[in-house]
Amino acid sequence: MAMRDLVTGAPSCGEPSSSSNPLGALANALIGSSSKTQERLKEIPTSVSTSSNGNFLAGVEEPLATLPGSEFEHPLQPNIQGSQFLQGFRSADQNRLADAWDEIQRPQLPFAHGSQNMTNIPLEHARLQPDLNGPPQQVLSSFLHSFVNSSHGGVPFRPASLPLLGLSEGDKQCIRDRSSIMARHFFADKSEDFINGQVNALLSSLEIDSHARARGPVPGRYPELEEYWNESLAMKPALHVADGWINEFSQNRVGHADPNSWVQSFEQQHGANGWASEFEHEQSQLGMIGQMRGANIPNLAAMEQTRMLAHTLAQNSDPKFQLSRGPQGWVNEFSAEREQHGSVNNDWVNEFSKLNVNDDWADEFGRQVAEGAFGETSADGWAEAYDEYMNEQAALRQQSDASRGVYVFSDLNPYVGHPNPLKEGQELFRKGLLSEAVLALEAEVLKNPENAEGWRLLGIAHAENDDDQQAIAAMMRAQEADPANLEVLLSLGVSHTNELEQQAALKYLYSWLRHHPKYGSIAPQDQPVSFYHADVARLFTDASQMAPDDADVHIVLGVLYNLSREYDKAIESFKTALKLKPRDYSLWNKLGATQANSVQSADAILAYQQALDIKPNYVRAWANMGISYANQGMYEDSIRYYVRALAMNPKADNAWQYLRISLSCASRNDMLEACDARNLDVLQKEFPL
Amino acid sequence: MPVFKTPFNGYSVRFSPFHESQLAVATAQNFGILGNGRVHILQVNPNGPISELAAFDTADGIYDVCWSEAHDSLVIAASGDGSVKLYDLSLPPTNNPIRSFKEHTREVHSVDYNMVRKDSFLSASWDDTVKLWTVDRNASVRTFKEHAYCVYSAAWNPRHADIFASASGDCTTRIWDVREPGSTMILPAHEFEILTCDWNKYDDCIIATASVDKSIKVWDVRNYRVPIAVLNGHGYAVRKVRFSPHRASAMVSCSYDMTVCMWDYMVEDALIGRYDHHTEFAVGVDMSVLVEGLLASTGWDELVYVWQHGMDPRAA
Repeated sequence: MAMRDLVTGAPSCGEPSSSSNPLGALANALIGSSSKTQERLKEIPTSVSTSSNGNFLAGVEEPLATLPGSEFEHPLQPNIQGSQFLQGFRSADQNRLADAWDEIQRPQLPFAHGSQNMTNIPLEHARLQPDLNGPPQQVLSSFLHSFVNSSHGGVPFRPASLPLLGLSEGDKQCIRDRSSIMARHFFADKSEDFINGQVNALLSSLEIDSHARARGPVPGRYPELEEYWNESLAMKPALHVADGWINEFSQNRVGHADPNSWVQSFEQQHGANGWASEFEHEQSQLGMIGQMRGANIPNLAAMEQTRMLAHTLAQNSDPKFQLSRGPQGWVNEFSAEREQHGSVNNDWVNEFSKLNVNDDWADEFGRQVAEGAFGETSADGWAEAYDEYMNEQAALRQQSDASRGVYVFSDLNPYVGHPNPLKEGQELFRKGLLSEAVLALEAEVLKNPENAEGWRLLGIAHAENDDDQQAIAAMMRAQEADPANLEVLLSLGVSHTNELEQQAALKYLYSWLRHHPKYGSIAPQDQPVSFYHADVARLFTDASQMAPDDADVHIVLGVLYNLSREYDKAIESFKTALKLKPRDYSLWNKLGATQANSVQSADAILAYQQALDIKPNYVRAWANMGISYANQGMYEDSIRYYVRALAMNPKADNAWQYLRISLSCASRNDMLEACDARNLDVLQKEFPL
Repeated sequence: MPVFKTPFNGYSVRFSPFHESQLAVATAQNFGILGNGRVHILQVNPNGPISELAAFDTADGIYDVCWSEAHDSLVIAASGDGSVKLYDLSLPPTNNPIRSFKEHTREVHSVDYNMVRKDSFLSASWDDTVKLWTVDRNASVRTFKEHAYCVYSAAWNPRHADIFASASGDCTTRIWDVREPGSTMILPAHEFEILTCDWNKYDDCIIATASVDKSIKVWDVRNYRVPIAVLNGHGYAVRKVRFSPHRASAMVSCSYDMTVCMWDYMVEDALIGRYDHHTEFAVGVDMSVLVEGLLASTGWDELVYVWQHGMDPRAA
């Protein structure tokens, strides 16, 4: 006997797909062979609970992971885009499974539905039997009423023969169209067949033909994209299709009889508009390639949107549009600085572009193009490279999740064998020679793996050197060696915030509170299973009231508010902390990063400057300066800052990526090679500060 | 709390932006499937019953109503026969409607008035288009035709005079700039029909969409791939969502599960209030701009409730 039979029962056990058999439902959902089960998978989960924790948390966590720059130490990490991009891929599938699972957990029992809702309806309204006597108006009325009410009862509406109502053709059409549209809304739980059945019942009772019914919602969600999908599946040469798409898109718009047809302006602007058109061009080609490899629809939609936005951006510099608005148009107004002085502000644009361009991918693509990949075997070659890249990234992410705590030691460490590397490390750190300090400290922890202080300082050095991965690894070792060390816990909280891992960050910040001699009492004894941001924030606010002069509490509050994107509160907290600790350079950096994230880049630069005045070798602050300049569209300047940061720490991978982006934005493609080769000499010569 | 009984099934309520005690209600006979319609202008008297200032009868059901932001006596109604009607309360009923714009080929499901430039309004229709109109022109200024199915709602951005969003049965929400012929962004917000959308009054990049799939999703248009929040809790399709004009992250929604719910999406247990005063689908809801916390709702049970958040709408 097949598993399916066992689980769903042989035919004699009754309707296998009936939801009263939970195992049957499970089997259907998992095996999903019959067409009925296919439908069920598409049905909406019936969640009648008021707070569905799972869903909501998921909703809250995911976006934290995709926030453009919630790290306050480290705004706008483009390499995070890799994971965002992947999340776009993965979450689409996850939803499906979640739906199926939800269904299994709460099987649809029509009775339960009915009884639950029936109690809400006062008896006089539960008119499931329409009143068939009386004037036509009333009859129609009560009949329609029972149709609507059938949705509550979950009991199918029964057709009834009605007396002649004298409905005109127009009336009939009205009823037909509207009832089918509305039925889809209130019977949304049910299958297509059920809905059609209900509507047909209604229509036949009223003697209305149903065959000429109004259309239903379109099966494919993005009809325009389906078209391109189909087109691309016919293997045309890559470049050709991309152009085709652009042309088609343009053509669709020509019919608008607008004398200032933006199609023309688009073509004019296409060459002259720097990054917007370049970006768009890349995107359209990327989009097309994505389709050829069967990328997910959400991805296509995302690319479509990006493309369309890029289109808009390409238009914005058209003088014709300046008549109605300032030079930058609404896109740029979508930023916090809009109300002030109408400043020319590219923040939104840049933020958006940084969000959506998966830079590694774009780099890869750019490389391919440069290598003339769009030749004969172009499509396949690129597509394979893309596939490879995706697998790599996926593996990397898994790896990085698993091996979060694995610290990577440098080779050829000259400090190994020295008598007191810790002391040397501390001295070097104080002097600001971060990379040297790292080596010395590594020598120390190689000698004494349980030296919490060594690991802690190592972690800090990496963080200041703009390497969060190593920072976290080192800090975790420090925490193992000394679980109650407050600075370590704070540092871990900060790093995890940078890496956009909310739960982990909250966990560490909470631990900080627990282990604190003064505030330990505020935190409840048993550690909660999962951390709610609001709870932790509340605890810290209480702590800050207990001891308003404790800068650390304010610092943590600032970190927390960054997590929840309440940037104004974060800025306030950091400013309070700075009053208490004005010489804390990392605090200035935090302030700057928060300001940058809330799109106050000009203020951010001032804060970074303060940090650098206190600590001139602060690599992170240099890189952050670069980011803030880039956010304001001052690419030339940003390049210089990146180069400076990299000169101090050539291992800062992120900074290399930012540099690359700024180079292309500034149209310095000549320097891209130097950037890829990590040739600092050339870059420093070209871009001195 | 006062209640008003309408002769027809309620479809939409809107507070007047000028007079804190005035309310417009759109109603349609037989649930809007077939029959007449009526626009009510109600006066909410403090500590007293709701009285009717004016009522306008129409040949077909009225699905939505909105107030002009420029003239305190102008009301715009969306009708099931595809027309958009303009009413002037300062004129006697015999002179009303002062205009009937008939361009849509199917039912007009929503109207919204521009609150920044206050010179134009939108109509969203089941003929898949959204049209832009001004009060003084007889023909529409623009038509936005991109959706693949009924457009259920169009909402202006409260800060940018040219931006609006539309919610459609083709499962997408589109963001438009009236200066562009095509949409600027497509947000595939739900897997099912999206019945309503509204912008956050405090953050011009946040938009909420609600769908037949019973959920409300809050999006940041700068990061459209993942919603900021997913609010579950309604038992049936969510019909309307409105952001609070007084609290940045609060919003109210009404659903076919007959409840009106209040949410705060920045809090982890987002549902902060639930009112189940209606005995049929709750179809229209609005929050007053002039009086903080004042809510109004209407439903197919032919009742209009006006109450203060936190109190029981049915209390005497």
